[in-house]
Amino acid sequence: QHYPPLRALQASAALRRVSDEHKKEPLTSSSQQHFDSPPAGHQPEQKPQGPRPSYTGQGGQESEDYESEEQLQHRILTAALEFVPEHGWTAEAIAEGAKTLGLSVAAAGMFHSDGSELILHFVSECNSKLSELLQKEQKLVQLGEAEKKPIDEFLRDAVEARLRMLIPYIEKWPQALSILLLPRNIPSSLNLLTSMIDDIWHYAGDQSTDFNWYTRRAVLTGIYNTTELVMMQDSSPGFEDTWRFLENRVADAMTMSNTASQVQSTGEAVVQGLMGAAVTVSNAETSRAVR
Amino acid sequence: MAAALLWRCRCRCRALLSRPAGAVRARRGLAAGPEMHFGFQTVTEEERREKIYQVFENVAKKYDVMNDSMTLGIHRVWKDILVHKMNPCPGTLLLDVAGGTGDIAFRFINYVRFVRQRQLQRKLKHHQNLSWQEIFESYQKDEFNSLGDSQVVVCDINREMLKIGKQKAQHLGYTEGLSWVLGNAEELPFDDEKFDVYTIAFGIRNVTRIDLALQEAYRVLKPGGRFLCLEFSHVSNPLLSRLYDLYSFQVIPVLGEVIAGDWRSYQYLVESIRQFPPQEELKAMIEDAGFFKVDYENLNFGIVAIHSGFKL
Repeated sequence: QHYPPLRALQASAALRRVSDEHKKEPLTSSSQQHFDSPPAGHQPEQKPQGPRPSYTGQGGQESEDYESEEQLQHRILTAALEFVPEHGWTAEAIAEGAKTLGLSVAAAGMFHSDGSELILHFVSECNSKLSELLQKEQKLVQLGEAEKKPIDEFLRDAVEARLRMLIPYIEKWPQALSILLLPRNIPSSLNLLTSMIDDIWHYAGDQSTDFNWYTRRAVLTGIYNTTELVMMQDSSPGFEDTWRFLENRVADAMTMSNTASQVQSTGEAVVQGLMGAAVTVSNAETSRAVR
Repeated sequence: MAAALLWRCRCRCRALLSRPAGAVRARRGLAAGPEMHFGFQTVTEEERREKIYQVFENVAKKYDVMNDSMTLGIHRVWKDILVHKMNPCPGTLLLDVAGGTGDIAFRFINYVRFVRQRQLQRKLKHHQNLSWQEIFESYQKDEFNSLGDSQVVVCDINREMLKIGKQKAQHLGYTEGLSWVLGNAEELPFDDEKFDVYTIAFGIRNVTRIDLALQEAYRVLKPGGRFLCLEFSHVSNPLLSRLYDLYSFQVIPVLGEVIAGDWRSYQYLVESIRQFPPQEELKAMIEDAGFFKVDYENLNFGIVAIHSGFKL
């Protein structure tokens, strides 16, 4: 491979010098939800965007300020999100986003022409935001400043918070869902979905290590997906219908789990009874045979 | 056929003879320029430029016809794929270097026009409650913008090729968004950071100093701009490679003689394809010029390759 060690991205140098605001990358623990993994040894590691960059000005030593291609791609996609309500999840929105960063519209050619990377980026960002939210709440509970919520209320609030992030893009979201279902995108989108659900259960305090782990995640995935679909065609003010639907589904899930344990104990009781009856009958037979 | 074989042998002998002559020239310190290849011959830089200029001067009139007959029309598909890969949106400024007869430029204009139409349709669909007057006015406004401010600059070093290109444009009815500039790819007559996309289709093979051309490409592109190169490349599949060689060396010069009356030029063409660096080497050269995210896509198993890079 042919990469000289410290190459500054020319565009990023110009942009950093001009712009004052920093778009902080959400480098939380859920950054392993990164769908966009570069090939091994591709570029210098990501530099955390910390204090203002300093320039040494000498030819040999490169300045602190350079970013990997991935970070630049992130910035372009984040900038592109504001054009989505107008252009949809398309390469045009990405081109407009690149324009606001001072790059040429041809930079949109870095991404696939159907906008999948934009959608996956958005989903990944929403998941990170949800994680942060849940973490903050957990801290408050640990510090004793807030009450620990019962499970059903916790799940309901978490799913609602996550779905509310879709509201600015709700008109074009059906298009995004259909693109996420393309065979090419299914591995990444499934990965993002499962890690989000896992996150929610983790903060809900689930520590199961048996088959319950799978059942819980399957149930919550079902609740999330169905609520999302209901939200797509909900026209009530403030999406009341959707939240009521969510409440009902979570309540159903709780009842189901109670019923399940009840059924299990009832089943055990029935089996015990049958065993007892069988023993009694066999005793009666032996005693009659003896007589 | 026999003549072709004989000529090929003579070519090889000439190549063998000219090498020591060139070395003698160098030893004597005559500044005739470094040794380069012209097909399978060895010539100096200046000679190469002249010879290539003559080749294209000779073939200009029959360029398109020969392209169709040599590639059996597949070159149209290759050029279509290039423009689709570019996926330009309205407002893009394209520089098509070595674009002579304008194939890429015309395709670009068609594509942008189509995208622009779709954009306008979508905008109108949103405004469902407009009165007829308002709709009429919006058509008036946007009618003059059917290309959405996109432009193509076709640059070529050869006057004859540009002349043919201009004639074609007039003939096919392309009036707006096109400009024709005479220029050398190694020294472009444009300012820095002017263009969104730089393409060079089947032209970089004929450039004498490829690294200079790549540096110029880097210079004239805006930050975020894209470099695209469509060129014949190396076939790795051995069976296909043999068939391809057979077709290239036996059929193409003959077609050149029959259709264009000039088989030497087409002999040069076929040989220059063999001399051109393979995909990975070209990728390394493009990265050396400063481009990022350099990648290539093989078409037809490597007969043609599209290299793409970004100025980031």
